[in-house]
Amino acid sequence: MNRLTLQQFLMPVWVLIFAFAAADQARAVDTVVYRLKWLKNMSTAGDLVANSLGYFERAGLSVTVKAGGPERDALRELELGHAHFGVASADQVIRARAKGAPVVVIAQLFQVNPLQWIYHMDGGAMNSPGDLENKTIGVTFGKNDEIIMRTLIAGAGIKATSVRLFSVRLDYTPFYKGQVDLWPVYINTQGIEIGEKLKRAGVAVGFFDPSDHGVRFVANSVVTSRRMMEKDSTTVRRFLGALLEGWRFAMDPDNAGRTVTVVQGFDRDSGKAVLEAQLEATRKLVRPSSDTAIGAIDVPAWLQTETIMLNHGQIDAPVKVGDILMPLSASQ
Amino acid sequence: MLIRRLYQFLMIYFLGVGVLLALKYGAGLSDYVVPGPVLIWRTCMDTTARYLSDVADTLSVAVVGQVLSILLALLVGILGRQTSWFGSFIKAAAYNVQAYPIVALAPIIFILLGDGWPARLLIAAMICYFPLLLSVLGIMSEPVVDIEHFYRQTGRMRWQLEVKIRAFENIGKLTTVIAGSATLAMAGTIVAEFIAANAGIGYSIRIALYQSDLAKILVALFVIGITLSLYQGFLEWCGLRVKSAWIGQPGEPSGGES
Repeated sequence: MNRLTLQQFLMPVWVLIFAFAAADQARAVDTVVYRLKWLKNMSTAGDLVANSLGYFERAGLSVTVKAGGPERDALRELELGHAHFGVASADQVIRARAKGAPVVVIAQLFQVNPLQWIYHMDGGAMNSPGDLENKTIGVTFGKNDEIIMRTLIAGAGIKATSVRLFSVRLDYTPFYKGQVDLWPVYINTQGIEIGEKLKRAGVAVGFFDPSDHGVRFVANSVVTSRRMMEKDSTTVRRFLGALLEGWRFAMDPDNAGRTVTVVQGFDRDSGKAVLEAQLEATRKLVRPSSDTAIGAIDVPAWLQTETIMLNHGQIDAPVKVGDILMPLSASQ
Repeated sequence: MLIRRLYQFLMIYFLGVGVLLALKYGAGLSDYVVPGPVLIWRTCMDTTARYLSDVADTLSVAVVGQVLSILLALLVGILGRQTSWFGSFIKAAAYNVQAYPIVALAPIIFILLGDGWPARLLIAAMICYFPLLLSVLGIMSEPVVDIEHFYRQTGRMRWQLEVKIRAFENIGKLTTVIAGSATLAMAGTIVAEFIAANAGIGYSIRIALYQSDLAKILVALFVIGITLSLYQGFLEWCGLRVKSAWIGQPGEPSGGES
């Protein structure tokens, strides 16, 4: 009788232990590292929202979002196992793929490349690539803005000797002084800041957008390793689902206030008004029209990016872009 | 001396590349992360001529920067050798200027001087100057008691004589420090070019970094290493000649090299 009583007494204890263990397992959080392409600013609004407002946590993920920079290469980190996901532009992905890096693209964050050229309006509006003739144009030699500008110049039939390419850095003095006619900026971040400064100084500026002239060079996209995709597709789906939820929230005009507050927590140097303007500009890049799905991969733009890189000798042979692009639906 | 410098550099360089390749094949990394031997060789064939010209450009700035640093360090070292208020002021000013990291000063330099030759020269001189100054101050502040005592007692001591005595007694140290500062001048110029210039090997490395092209960076390091080894070997040879001419007997370079 006593023995039976003991078993009866222990049974609920075991049940409780198993229940707690099962619950704990269900709540088990996977830790992943997400390396951004650049610093934490409005260009990463959705990434920051997904992390700060608990989208990743609700998907059972503990995500460390790390800022990027010129010396931090998400693609290398994926291969070395230092990061699980990252953000890279199409030219970086294609160049890495050309050298055998096992990388796949699971979403495209910017449907329109934010890279544009700011110019002083006193010389008149620049409405076509033909207007670039005889201008001094800022480019970052070795980066994608150089390839984009060279494509525009060649496309307009302008002789290479009829334009002067000027090597730019983060110091805008040559543009302010008028030594350079066009200066490359990210329209949703630097474009807003510089535009505001010059507007206050009474200077009228315009922006030259390559995508208006048929050059659709793909920018920020979410990447992971092929190994991660094959061995842990569940985590990939959970991560991407939560990330895109974050981006949808951030790009919804009704959530502008909260999004600005989240970004301001990381970008303390920018005022609220500037961040609001940046958010509005970012929205046009991430969701240019109401029927554009956030994160959708623009395959024709990727193919064009590959063709441009081939034409400029950035890669020796095509990399079969179709094999790199793995949108969520295809990966499921 | 030159040959030894070269083969020592080659040993270090190929050991480094060997470690990278072992990592590549051990961890199964792609050419994007660590380029394979074929890709390195192909890049070497494509870029060496251009990089040699870039390194020559960088070296020309580094040499002028080093000469300026040596002159400035000698001047400040001679002025600062005194235990007077002025001497300590010179030392404090020299130390304080060096306390600011060059990456913080570089933007100001580039705004004031532009991104051309003068800015590269100034940064090269600034990086090279401080270690030189420390050595010169150390040498010039240390009295050679036995000899100086005689001249002081006979009332014939002048500052020029004091400097000569101290330089003569420490000629080995001075030539070693000057030869060693070539590395710093070169590194300073490369940093300046990397940050903001439009020419030189530092600028080419920056472009290669933007393109995530480690093969180009490895080739650039090779060309820099070879050039620097030759230049340092040349300086050491000059140091030997100066020493033997001044002391009047064939000298051996300090550090045991021959």
